Amino acid sequence: MKNSIIALIAFCFILKLEAQNKKFQINGAARSYLFTNELKIDQALDSITPKKSNYGHNLLDLGISVFPNSTTEVISMFRIRNELGGFWGGGVTFNVRQLTLKGVVKNIVRYELGDIDLKMTSYTLFNTREEGITNEAEIFAIRRKVFHYDLFYNDNYWRMQGAKVDFTLLPDRVFKKISFKSYLTRQRATDGLTKPERLYGGGSINFVKNKKLNIQLNSYNMFDLSQTASIDSSKFTNSVFTSNFNYKISNREKIALKLYGETGISNSKYLNYTNSDAPSSISDWFYDIASSTHFKKKKFRLEIGVKDVGKNFRSPGGQTKRINYSKSPGLYQQFTNEYIGREVSFSDVINGNAEASFKISETLMSYNAAYNNTNPYGDATPNRRGVYINLEWLDSVKIKNSYVKLLFLQESVGTGTLKRKSFILSRIGTNIFINEYFNWKKILKINFGLQNEFTFREGETYEKINLSSHFIDAGLSYEFIPKLSFLIGCKFWIAKGNEHLIIRDDFNTIINFNMIDINFSESIIATGIKYDFEDKNTLTLQYQSFNLKNRSVNGIDYGISEFIILYSLFF
Amino acid sequence: MKKIIQISVIILLAIACRKNDIETIEGPNLNDLYGPFSILSKLKLDENVNFTNDESVIFNMEISKQTNWEIEITGANSGASRKFTGNDRIISINNAIWKGGADAFPSFGLEKSYVKINFPNEQDAPVINDSITITGLKSDKGNFITSFENGFKNHWDLFNQTTVSGSIACSNNKAAKGNCYYKWSGLVPWDWAIGSVQIKAPGSSFSLPPNANNLFFNMGVKMVKNTGPENCFFQLWFDEDDNGDGIFDENTEDRFIYEYWYENDEWNLVSFKYGDLKYDANGDLSVVKGNGLPEPSKLISINIFFLANQDSGIKSEAYADHIIFTENESYKP
Repeated sequence: MKNSIIALIAFCFILKLEAQNKKFQINGAARSYLFTNELKIDQALDSITPKKSNYGHNLLDLGISVFPNSTTEVISMFRIRNELGGFWGGGVTFNVRQLTLKGVVKNIVRYELGDIDLKMTSYTLFNTREEGITNEAEIFAIRRKVFHYDLFYNDNYWRMQGAKVDFTLLPDRVFKKISFKSYLTRQRATDGLTKPERLYGGGSINFVKNKKLNIQLNSYNMFDLSQTASIDSSKFTNSVFTSNFNYKISNREKIALKLYGETGISNSKYLNYTNSDAPSSISDWFYDIASSTHFKKKKFRLEIGVKDVGKNFRSPGGQTKRINYSKSPGLYQQFTNEYIGREVSFSDVINGNAEASFKISETLMSYNAAYNNTNPYGDATPNRRGVYINLEWLDSVKIKNSYVKLLFLQESVGTGTLKRKSFILSRIGTNIFINEYFNWKKILKINFGLQNEFTFREGETYEKINLSSHFIDAGLSYEFIPKLSFLIGCKFWIAKGNEHLIIRDDFNTIINFNMIDINFSESIIATGIKYDFEDKNTLTLQYQSFNLKNRSVNGIDYGISEFIILYSLFF
Repeated sequence: MKKIIQISVIILLAIACRKNDIETIEGPNLNDLYGPFSILSKLKLDENVNFTNDESVIFNMEISKQTNWEIEITGANSGASRKFTGNDRIISINNAIWKGGADAFPSFGLEKSYVKINFPNEQDAPVINDSITITGLKSDKGNFITSFENGFKNHWDLFNQTTVSGSIACSNNKAAKGNCYYKWSGLVPWDWAIGSVQIKAPGSSFSLPPNANNLFFNMGVKMVKNTGPENCFFQLWFDEDDNGDGIFDENTEDRFIYEYWYENDEWNLVSFKYGDLKYDANGDLSVVKGNGLPEPSKLISINIFFLANQDSGIKSEAYADHIIFTENESYKP
């Protein structure tokens, strides 16, 4: 290890000399993170779990981009992590975080090999954001940025290993521009016995007719290479083909009108499975069409859309969740005198303690109905249809990022009954710059977000569902001394009602329902200060208090308080 | 305005395309999992049924949910039993039709039969009781040899140890089918052999079909005293007249032997494919003196031989009943 570090430093030294010739760039991140946690739970319920814990780490991500020639770039990033309390190298880990080769062939074809980031449409390949964010306060956003960075959750991209190629043609005739993108990645290595190698590949062709109209074809396949395992290995394939378009109908002085949408089909096959429950083939389709009207003078945009996603529409690339709700979170994984596995709370979700996904999941992952029941798998959530309305106000000096989002959805097919569940989800958010009202130079900003969700179904007693969930996400940041800000934020989640949780087998077939009663309130209140050395160089001290009051039968009340010191630098 | 109409038309078209599966349910039915249980249409049975006339009993019921159900029919005198189980909301000819058979020996007689229907997964469900009287027995399909109902035939033969009584017994509701059966009873401390009855063909043969590979031999046996897995068994001899002279010669013709060892104290159906006699219990070719081929058409005698442990010091007792050959499948009691 010691030799590796010396070699790395020497390598960096050599690269620094070379930098004068602009043959390389150095970028990366560094941070120091210190946590002090305390579990707050009735002593009678838990006299076993150590309540207090202190830990932390120092970390350096050193990224080096080498340009061997004008058309090639080699990106590597090394991570040196030192757990606080490690002694003379004890607790030090050294990892390769990224290796990517990029280039351009003949100034036409761009390619990437190695660690690549991929995103298509929300129905094909899309890393849908986790729950618990509705115009989040800055005090929470600072921490979230860290774990998103660690997990490569850049926007809605998935980090994968493989290769991608893209190029653009400029024909003169029917289309002005045609862009091609394709990729092939490895999702799973074979175990040599029963699990074959799994690949995931696809691409898109975007036909641009003119400034007003473009049509894109998207397709991907997730498939097993059965010959890489034993002869009688199972073979899973999932293919999705969609087409989306964007048509700017008019753009006048007062109003601009746009129509866009996507439609497509999916097909999944389970071949050579010994389990008789495996369906040989399932297919379904979806559409999502919306219009956007931009009222220029009134400075707001109205979007109205309709969608219908079939119950058997399977698009693992669009439906994989970031958070694995079936696994206990990393912090206080088990608690109480009975060693109960702690369920994922939204505190775990927003602080990065929940288990996160790195791979595309062929199965529909479990979710918490209280956090998101309307579209737990993002836009591509199967068995949903209905309308959505979004209102978005354009940013002004005083108010930014203001929106109202409404979803009125219903199941396409009833689950367990002919009667269908209905869902209403509303999200409201805004950022208000108070200082602009009073012409203060120092920033005083209020973040506010509100989410209300209702799930209901009529019918007999055993069919009835009535679940309401309310989420408030608010905060304030005040730069009371230049570069030094006071931060405060809170998140409240209150849910009450009942739901029939869907239980699926390994083939996504519904096999049972879990009738649950939900009655809890979760709250996080956080306060702290932040000092901005520079744009991407921050030191923050925060105290956070999370409390869960679970009023359902056998529910456990507990809380976690946390004090953190976080120094982060991106360069 | 024109543009808005265009958009509206497109959106309306999209809505028109919406699937409307109003009759489809995804997943198991909640009504079956959590719905209340009730009987929507009651069971109605006739008083009598004559299976000889090809009548049958159809259990028609409709219940409120798909759940497990059991229909058990028990003969009042014979103790014969027939059970139907299912997991359907509608009980009908498709899943519960009784043609007079029993699940095992003993078979039903001309008797009153009690019907009991219960729903094991429904705590509050009632148990439904009813009865029906059998006025005619089901007709057996196959080559019937004997059920010992008409006495000991003149052309039959028997062997009993001196301390053994071996004969046809009747009218005590112990038969596998009908009223009578063959019974051995006695203490034989010097030999395993207890007794036998030799059922000889009435003429030159039993007039069995020639194909041994789809012909099943069936017989009911019951071992009731000096029992145990290695204490008693039946030995069945199948003598074939290979040369067609009407006489079996044990030195030149085939005698296939099949052994059935004790399994339990109840009536059991001994059933096997006649062609399987070509091989012994170990899978080796049977050691016989003739051509070695099981040939049903040449069968002229079936000897039913009861043997029991001579050292146990207790009386041995066993019964045999209802010998019949069937084609393609085992006999259904």
